Amino acid sequence: MRLVVVSAGLSVPSSTRLLGDRLAAAVVGRAPTGAPAEVEVVELRDLAVEIAHHLTTGFPGPALGAALSAVADADGLIVVTPVFSASYSGLFKSFFDVLDRDALAGKPVLVAATGGSARHSLVLEHAMRPLFAYLRAVVVPTAVYAASEDWGAEGLAERIDRAAGELFALVPAGGPDGSGDEGGSGGSGAGRRVVAGAEYGTDTAPYIAPVPAPAPAAVPAPAPVPATRRADAVRVGGFDVVPFADQLAALRPR
Amino acid sequence: MQFGIFTVGDVTPDPTTGRTPSEHERIKAMVAIAQKAEEVGLDVFATGEHHNPPFVPSSPTTMLGWIAARTENLILSTSTTLITTNDPVKIAEDFAMLQHLADGRMDLMMGRGNTGPVYPWFGKDIRQGINLAVENYALLYRLWREDVVTWEGKFRTPLQSFTSTPRPLDGVPPFVWHGSIRSPEIAEQAAYYGDGFFHNNIFWPADHTKQMIELYRSRYAHYGHGTPEQAIVGLGGQVFMRRNSQDAVREFRPYFDNAPVYGHGPSLEDFTQQTPLTVGTPEQVIEKTLSFRDYAGDYQRQLFLVDHAGLPLKTVLEQIDMLGEEVVPVLREEFAKRRAAGVPEAPTHAARVAAAAATAVGADADKEVSAS
Repeated sequence: MRLVVVSAGLSVPSSTRLLGDRLAAAVVGRAPTGAPAEVEVVELRDLAVEIAHHLTTGFPGPALGAALSAVADADGLIVVTPVFSASYSGLFKSFFDVLDRDALAGKPVLVAATGGSARHSLVLEHAMRPLFAYLRAVVVPTAVYAASEDWGAEGLAERIDRAAGELFALVPAGGPDGSGDEGGSGGSGAGRRVVAGAEYGTDTAPYIAPVPAPAPAAVPAPAPVPATRRADAVRVGGFDVVPFADQLAALRPR
Repeated sequence: MQFGIFTVGDVTPDPTTGRTPSEHERIKAMVAIAQKAEEVGLDVFATGEHHNPPFVPSSPTTMLGWIAARTENLILSTSTTLITTNDPVKIAEDFAMLQHLADGRMDLMMGRGNTGPVYPWFGKDIRQGINLAVENYALLYRLWREDVVTWEGKFRTPLQSFTSTPRPLDGVPPFVWHGSIRSPEIAEQAAYYGDGFFHNNIFWPADHTKQMIELYRSRYAHYGHGTPEQAIVGLGGQVFMRRNSQDAVREFRPYFDNAPVYGHGPSLEDFTQQTPLTVGTPEQVIEKTLSFRDYAGDYQRQLFLVDHAGLPLKTVLEQIDMLGEEVVPVLREEFAKRRAAGVPEAPTHAARVAAAAATAVGADADKEVSAS
């Protein structure tokens, strides 16, 4: 299982990144030992300049290109943003603006946000969920919001755990017995690949407290949703190409 | 291998002086650039087609006709001709006329254009961009090859027994390149017809360009036009040269930093590293251009962008002098040395006429055999 965390936190250390790490650890904790989860963290802070350049030039720099590929290839995504002006941050939105529009189709996504006050918590439902619905992602029912006060209060751990269970149940390698597609590199223990930002891993991340792995929530896994692809397309190199004669025939009047 | 220049025809203030040329000045500068290209022995001059400021070249065949009358050897082309918003009947006639006036020294490059609003200006729907490119070219292809065309399609009124005039010179239609940066459908189209494929890689990293060219080559072979290596490939390039590398960087930086399209974006250094842009000495341009072959294979046409972002005409003409005198002669020799056996030259009118005659003789011979 390849899990990618996209964090739009700006400070170091960042509570947004902290929330992302907590959620990732809760998902990783559910993976069976035989099929450990591989986690990559994309820190948008480190990609800010390349994201801006992509908007103006139309192509990604090397680090951003790697991050976009990691997101597109992930089995599941955890996306976390701080709340800026009653919504996700511009940097967070810009990253998904330069992502291929079909990249998230059918992909399980857990949405989360941090903010100074609990009064912004509906950002998750009014901004995050519509964005990922537009991108045709499968957004898990529980979205996790952490206000400053939540870090010192009860309840956050339970919400993290519930959301993680819902995401775990949806990823291809998930499910109660870990059966399903072979995900990630496998065999090398809990994978740690860092696309941007500080290294992440269950053995080095300072924020992660061990989370017990309860039985996954009973969310049925949906049938895989393929990205838009015409039935008559042929795969050549990295491209789907509709043979020219078929393109032309489709335009002929009946 | 053919070498040339392609211009976008932007009217941009010179960031070092603040002065903006008039449209008239810019148009005259473009034709002066074409004449200079001929003078220094380049093979190709190509002009863009745009219908919105700050660009001036809205009428390529008018400009190319003027240049044809004042040159002897230069091949005149476009970069690109909008196959989406121009009526294919008008393209067939305009470019056949140019072909006659230029004695065959022309070809053209098809493109979809990069400005959304241009579609409604010409009565078209941008959502049909690819479909327009597919249908319009299919009609254009027939108009140049069949004397009488009866045709019905989706995007224009039917043609009943229509003859496009003039007929192509020597019965051989103009060669067509299909230009695309990112649409696999266009690479597929070029491959289907056995036409050329041009990748304007000047804003794109090599690995992307490589993928698009591999797609075209593979489909070219799929459609039986030859081996993948025999497909006809063109590439863009972008250079600024001075005797001394530091001088080139210093002089070009303000133009780069304020250029339309990529200005105020990546640094000159990043862009030079990630894209084909070369800012430095003629030797550096030679070295980098030769490296295009590493990812594109043996290719047939190399066009350089040298006249944009407000660069003064004098500077542009100096660039073309350096290309003609120092860069292209070396590139010709080096590319020829490296080229694999069996890779064709870029198509010219004379070669296509000869090939058509050979095919006709072959067909006659077949007839005689069957008659005897």
